[in-house]
Amino acid sequence: MNALALPVVLPLLAAFLVRPVGLVSGRLASAFGPLVLLLCAGLLVNIAVLVQGQPVSANIGAFAPPLGIVFYADSIALLFAIVVPVFALLLWPREAMQAGGDRISALMLLLVGAGTGMALSGDLFNLYVFYELLAVASFGLVAASGTARAWAATVRYLLISGFGSVLALIGVALIYAQTGTLNLAQLSEFAPELLANPLGLAAFACLLVGFGVKAELFPVNAWVPEVYATAPKRVSALLAGVVSKLAILVVLRLILLVFDTPEARQLLLVLGLIGLVSGELAAWRARDLPRMLAFSSIGQLGLLFMAMSIPGVPGLVAALAVALHHLLMKPALFLLAERWHGGLENLAGAGRKAPLAAGLFTLFALSLLGVPPLPGFWAKLVLLLGLGEQDALLAQAAIAGVLLMAVVEAHYLFRLVGLLYARNEHDAPPHRMGDLAVASLLGVVLLASMPLLPALAEGLGWMAHQAADVTAYRAVILGSTTAGAAP
Amino acid sequence: MNLNPLDLLFLIAALNLLAMLIVGSWRGAGILATVLYGAQLLALSEISAPTTASFGFSGFGFTLGWQFDALAWLFAVITVASALVASWYGSGEWLRRFAGNRRLLLSALAANVLAMLMLLGSGDLLTLFVGWEATSWAGFLLMALAGGVAREAALKYLVYAIAGAMALLAALVLLFKAGGSFDFSSAAASLDGMGDAPMWGLILLFLVAFGAKLALLPLHLWQAPAYSETPAPGAVFLGAIVGRMGLFALAVVLVKLIGIADLQALAIPFSFLSAQDLIAWIAALTIILPTYTALKQNDARYLLAWHGIGQGGYMLLGLVLGSALGTAGGLLHMINYAATQATLLMAVFAVQHRIGHTDLNRLGGLVARMPLSFLALLMGIISLAGLPPMSGFVSKWMVYTALLQDGRPLLFLASVIGTLGTILSVYKLIHNMFLGQLRVEHERIDEAPLSMLIPMLACATLAFITGAAPGLVLGWVAAAQGALGLPVLVYTLGGVESPQASLDMLWVVGVLFAGFGVGAILFYGFGGKTQRINQLDNYAGGHFLTTEMRYHYSDNFYAGLMHLIGGWYRGSFHWLESAISSGVRLVATAAGGWYRAVSPGFYLLAGTTLLLAWVLL
Repeated sequence: MNALALPVVLPLLAAFLVRPVGLVSGRLASAFGPLVLLLCAGLLVNIAVLVQGQPVSANIGAFAPPLGIVFYADSIALLFAIVVPVFALLLWPREAMQAGGDRISALMLLLVGAGTGMALSGDLFNLYVFYELLAVASFGLVAASGTARAWAATVRYLLISGFGSVLALIGVALIYAQTGTLNLAQLSEFAPELLANPLGLAAFACLLVGFGVKAELFPVNAWVPEVYATAPKRVSALLAGVVSKLAILVVLRLILLVFDTPEARQLLLVLGLIGLVSGELAAWRARDLPRMLAFSSIGQLGLLFMAMSIPGVPGLVAALAVALHHLLMKPALFLLAERWHGGLENLAGAGRKAPLAAGLFTLFALSLLGVPPLPGFWAKLVLLLGLGEQDALLAQAAIAGVLLMAVVEAHYLFRLVGLLYARNEHDAPPHRMGDLAVASLLGVVLLASMPLLPALAEGLGWMAHQAADVTAYRAVILGSTTAGAAP
Repeated sequence: MNLNPLDLLFLIAALNLLAMLIVGSWRGAGILATVLYGAQLLALSEISAPTTASFGFSGFGFTLGWQFDALAWLFAVITVASALVASWYGSGEWLRRFAGNRRLLLSALAANVLAMLMLLGSGDLLTLFVGWEATSWAGFLLMALAGGVAREAALKYLVYAIAGAMALLAALVLLFKAGGSFDFSSAAASLDGMGDAPMWGLILLFLVAFGAKLALLPLHLWQAPAYSETPAPGAVFLGAIVGRMGLFALAVVLVKLIGIADLQALAIPFSFLSAQDLIAWIAALTIILPTYTALKQNDARYLLAWHGIGQGGYMLLGLVLGSALGTAGGLLHMINYAATQATLLMAVFAVQHRIGHTDLNRLGGLVARMPLSFLALLMGIISLAGLPPMSGFVSKWMVYTALLQDGRPLLFLASVIGTLGTILSVYKLIHNMFLGQLRVEHERIDEAPLSMLIPMLACATLAFITGAAPGLVLGWVAAAQGALGLPVLVYTLGGVESPQASLDMLWVVGVLFAGFGVGAILFYGFGGKTQRINQLDNYAGGHFLTTEMRYHYSDNFYAGLMHLIGGWYRGSFHWLESAISSGVRLVATAAGGWYRAVSPGFYLLAGTTLLLAWVLL
């Protein structure tokens, strides 16, 4: 299945072609990026249809693993790989394009290529490379608005991100020193023997913190509020919604295949809990909507890390449910925040002028809180029941933390909803049609998933089973080695 | 498709909501809603045996299903009847003059009824949670829609309600872990083998969860402002029944699921008290403290709302006793109080409708202008104070008697102290509003319109009839007791008949009115003369008051009493509430500080060095 490489290679190639195409025709250049993304999405959907849910792998350049570059596509990987170009299309920053020209287009393509690569990669070093590529693209996008505040935020982001990269590299080095391979399938064979020790845990901690920068993990998330507040909202939406999930996917693979130890899971739980509590409380104190959303995003991702700390298939189902829910919510909320920036008290009465936007905001707020029967409730319920199955005191503290933070969340979200509907005159410009359309689309998807919940739950369970099946992972990747080497 | 009465009930309730969403701004929409509530009542009357709804919902391996037993039916009847009365009250002139969003108000009321019916019909714990959340959010909508002060009050309510809902979710997680399912039966089975510590955890979580809605101490601070600032029909509905959903849920989990016997067996460590005593004393404190807070209120709506909190205490107190008489008294008080509070609130909102405010310091003498509203309020306060011949007396008598039979004189004393406070404050209510001299600016006030008077007087009449013949509703109560697995009350049309204590209200009422008759015969028979005097011919402090110099003693009412007990009002709960919110603010500031840190890189580097040192060394 070498077609797997195309959705990664095409955007990367196109990123370098944007400039030359722009020299030929400006209009063509502006359509070029979306067209490539559309093609990638089509390719990925085509692959998903062809493989019919069976995991496949591809060796790039016919170098057999563990030597070559290997791509692995099970249903989770394909799902996230499809999400990247689709959301990039939905959140294509047209407005920033006018200011930044082709550069933004090229950066977006770079982001998509790297992101898809991250979703599909079956090798730790490649993951690291794609991750770095993604980071570079995101720096450029974040600074796109060109204001002084944006530059300052980007420098901060750059520092923390660089720190994370160094740590991730240390983690990679530690693992290589210990096992002599970076292929995830092989690592999963060696891990119980070679990595179930303090050194392995240290390597995991380094990798976790390193990749955690993009996933807004607790100690390395101080960049989040400033960046999301100053970057173009569509870029914030992309970072919070999609990019964070790609980093989560890496951590998920690591914990499933390599570091399936109670200590590693405990680390996830603790950091997730701190992230949740600090994020939600900071959001409660936030004075403007973009920062509030940024902090709440930190909290939600903390929840996601807690879900990943639950062992076995239930934890995976919970993590997938929370991740997909957040993937829908956050971009939509950032799109609504595009026109609703500035102090919160300035938003009094804004909802009366923009009833659709305010209605969507209320819907998303309810789902974010986990009000039944909205999908957010089911995600939270599965998470809580999973945590409840564990006997550790820490798990119980985590349940208490999740529940208490829901109260805090309800207060700050509905304080704002109340403000939106206050009887005040409000004179903000109306939302752009494009933003509203995308937010409405996501809202419709959210509502449509309610009647489909039984099927959805079944699908998530099936994906989780597939992802948790380590033997199958090994068989698909390493099995193809023998097949390839036989002649 | 074959619809059973329960399906029909849900269908009409949903249609009502839909109709209000579509045509809610039409001026006749209130009448349509009233008719539809009547239809729901008819559908309810068709349900005679436990019924299961033929629809359901499933996902993630869980199933939501709805069914009605006698307990759910009892609460549903009161819910729909309250909605009918409230909607009727607000369907005519009131709605035409309502300045807010008509569609929103009517839809919110319909949504509340639907959510509460779903809660009442929950067939398992998860459905209970879903219904609980739905009820909480529908209530929030109803409370918040007036904006301004109401929005602030509703937001505070939301914090308590969500805290309660999350406590319920925690209890559910505990039960699911023990039993592996959300069924009532498997939960009950897993409770049998449960140790003391998790059992206490469960009981406390349930108390927080449902006590927040019932406004049990110390979770009561939100209720009075949130209920009072709601537009009239909403306030009537909220006051009459919505808080009682907490009572219903507590009955389901504490009485049906855990069982009174288990509550009695569960001792508070290092004390001679049991879980049952703890709940009973919480209920008793909920009777006393809010009732005396009501005494200090200067707004009629707030005064009644604070009483609502206290009356909830009587209901829980009766219920937690577990005896046939006590639980019947608690459940009957829910019915009686709904009619009573609806009457009282409708009378007070009628005054607000005509005058524009309910400030007890700026009213007086309205009996001359609004005599029928006065009559309704009079009947209401007699019932609220628990005096014969009104229905409030019956249920309170049952609770008192059950307390004495159960050998709990201190709790009896506590509830009597509560009743004393009630009598004092309802006198303040009727005196400051209707008695004394009429103010000049109210001389041209008219009686409330007929559309408001009819439901008001109907409710007052109901409270009288069910007082004179409690047997009319005691059958429902007895059936609900049966559904809860409690001993069932033996009742007659006039009340209770048992070897220990009997009450026949037909006799009580008969004797009472015969007494009036005898008094009248004596008075007129011996040539007693009556003289009609003008309302403004009055004395105050020994001075004759003329028409020009009007005076109505209302400000600082009960100054003497307050001199005695004023020092007892400490505002401790307000202090507790603000202390908690300050604590959260402090932690939140610290959390925000981390994200504003100037050089996070430095901290990270230090942290990593430490981490690596810890791991490697």
